[in-house]
Amino acid sequence: MSADSRVPVAVDDIWPEAADADEGVVINWFAREGTRVSAGDPLCEIQVEKADADVPAPVDGTLAEIVCAEDDEFERGDTLGWIAPV
Amino acid sequence: MSEQQEVVERELTMSRGMVEAIAHEMRANDEVFYMGEDVADYGGIFDSTEGLLDEFGHDRIMDVPISETAYLGAAVGAAQEGMRPIAELMFVDFFGVAMDQIYNQMAKNTYMSGGSVSVPMVLTTAVGGTYNDAAQHSQTLYGTFAHLPGMKVVVPSTAYDAKGLMHNAIRDDDPVVYMFHKRLMGIGWMPAPDGPKTPVPETDYTIPFGSADVKREGADVTIVTLGLHVHRALDAADSLAEDGIDAEVVDLRTLVPLDRETILESVRKTGTLVVVDEDYRSYGVTGEVVATVTDEALAHLDAVERVAMPDIPIPYARPLETETQPQAADIEAAVERTQ
Amino acid sequence: MVAISELQEMYTDMVTARHYEERLQEEYLEGKQPAFDISAGPIPGELHLAAGQEAAAVGVCQHLRDDDTVTAPHRPHHVAIAKGVDLKRMTAEIFGRESGLCRGKGGHMHLFDPDVNFACSGIIAEGCPPAAGAGLAAQKRNSDSVAVAYLGEGAIDQGGFFESLNFAAVHDLPVVFVIEDNDWAISMPKERVTDVDDGSQRAAGFDMPGVRVDHDDAVAVYEAAERAVGRARDRNGPTLMEIQVHRRMGHFMGDPQTYRPEDDQTAATERDSIDRLEADLRARGVEDTTIKNLRDAAEDRVEEAIEWAKDQPEPDPETAHEDMFANPPSGVTDTDPEFDLMGGDD
Repeated sequence: MSADSRVPVAVDDIWPEAADADEGVVINWFAREGTRVSAGDPLCEIQVEKADADVPAPVDGTLAEIVCAEDDEFERGDTLGWIAPV
Repeated sequence: MSEQQEVVERELTMSRGMVEAIAHEMRANDEVFYMGEDVADYGGIFDSTEGLLDEFGHDRIMDVPISETAYLGAAVGAAQEGMRPIAELMFVDFFGVAMDQIYNQMAKNTYMSGGSVSVPMVLTTAVGGTYNDAAQHSQTLYGTFAHLPGMKVVVPSTAYDAKGLMHNAIRDDDPVVYMFHKRLMGIGWMPAPDGPKTPVPETDYTIPFGSADVKREGADVTIVTLGLHVHRALDAADSLAEDGIDAEVVDLRTLVPLDRETILESVRKTGTLVVVDEDYRSYGVTGEVVATVTDEALAHLDAVERVAMPDIPIPYARPLETETQPQAADIEAAVERTQ
Repeated sequence: MVAISELQEMYTDMVTARHYEERLQEEYLEGKQPAFDISAGPIPGELHLAAGQEAAAVGVCQHLRDDDTVTAPHRPHHVAIAKGVDLKRMTAEIFGRESGLCRGKGGHMHLFDPDVNFACSGIIAEGCPPAAGAGLAAQKRNSDSVAVAYLGEGAIDQGGFFESLNFAAVHDLPVVFVIEDNDWAISMPKERVTDVDDGSQRAAGFDMPGVRVDHDDAVAVYEAAERAVGRARDRNGPTLMEIQVHRRMGHFMGDPQTYRPEDDQTAATERDSIDRLEADLRARGVEDTTIKNLRDAAEDRVEEAIEWAKDQPEPDPETAHEDMFANPPSGVTDTDPEFDLMGGDD
């Protein structure tokens, strides 16, 4: 599978409505690199302005790479990780 | 793990493990409901009911007035009618305003009735310090609840244990006090140490009460502990290993019933006991565990140490709280004193 | 009509309290952004700020003397300021410093200043019984001092509150119970947890006067409290007051308030009792420069207290083990008495 076919784990769709901030922090990952994930299942949890939100897996696949580890900060639009679809 | 068993990859925080069990039981049994302050729209101050309102609505995930005597007592009454209420005391420190319902009603009715009444409820409550919330919001009170007869007392330290123990707590026909440590829940604003987040099977499963879990095997010293301090003991054990000391860490998981046999078995092997507790030192968990060993395995016991909160209310300022709370370094030092 | 000097004093305390909470918010969030970690930064632990509730503090406390007692709940700063608690030492306590009011042991929910008879508790409604006790002491000693218990509207469903109302009523104690109604018990709106809109109606069941001040107008609170405190001081018994206030910030710092409708949050910040009192001052002929001077002086005092507090040393960890008892553990003696008791073994 080429790197191009990987699907990004993005945060734009789940950004908390009330949040003014454009930066957040990864609180928890619920999968490790190399493990199977199912579309829609919570993949990780982020915190934006004290509010928490779950980031669902975009597709069925394998968590190929975690880009932002727990406690890492990121900005709106960033990719938190990559899924290799099955 | 045998080969035919499924490998569990999904990891959950402790709060999610606990909530998954509650949700499963609520789907399976209409008579299970949850009452507490800020458990509905807020999802529990410490995420103990996060997401449950969406699925079950306000009828079954009930916010209640700040009236602990009334709603904890109402849980007792509903349980005696055969329902399976789960009632949350937001901080265990608030037990004082409702203690009669807890220990004179909930805990005693089964026995006082000669077994003709049962109280199948779960009292969930947040325990513990580490974040400078001072004397009225930081206690564990493990020993207090374990001391008063009539309550099964559960203290999970990982997501896996939290889920299996919660399934057992809800299905159990007796009152179960389920004490979850705030620092272990995996809350964004109170980061957990490494350890409580574990793989958790999606299916339901029950962990029996009274079965301690050896979280780390070792030959030289037995560290008996529970809750947050399981993880501090594991940290201490890693560090001790570098000095050539091989520590065994026993996670009690429940205080009532207490798995005395696992403690004794470990001490018979290591000859050395260190008991670590986030509750007050005197008249509590550490004394009970040490007494268990001196009663039953004194001949095997070469050295013993206790590490616990001193007998003072928990102070606010960071250096003061740190001084009073058992740290991994305190556990290491206690182990080294036994060698 | 309220004297202009009293209006100015109340205004000063309100501005002090508001600026204090805003500055504490800033200090508290130091080290807690972007990841909010409750145990990080110069002020750890929970912090419950009272911006929007100042009128209830000053309107009542304006009638109090140092020898009158006040008990406050977990959200205490505005009441402490209005009662005259030492601002520097209170701030040092909140920063967990050695020279804090409680030597760093209490923190922001557990402030004690015996010089002005102020105490607070983090357990809901649990300040009510001790306030009744302070009233009892005044009555027994034939003193004309009074006691005031502050509580939130969420606390009026708690047993300690009901029992205290009855105890104070049956003994005609000089106590005023002050409910600060900010509409929210953390995430629970009032209507979900109680069936009365007006908490002061609780008084009827205890045969004491109940009065509600429907808007957080310091002057209206002052006038209602004048009657309640006067009644207590004249030994005519307790009164229950409820005052509508507004929670401009979350329940605690870190509360995402996702449960709270945005228009409710906006409304809370639009109704400002400080603006209202400022307008009253102008209407009474107080010059803008005078108002500005009061405000500047109040803000300077807050800044000075915060700077002072941050300069104070942290407590020596060993002091955690001090202050456990007033007397030694053995009591007032460490010697067994010597008697020759009849029939004893000796």
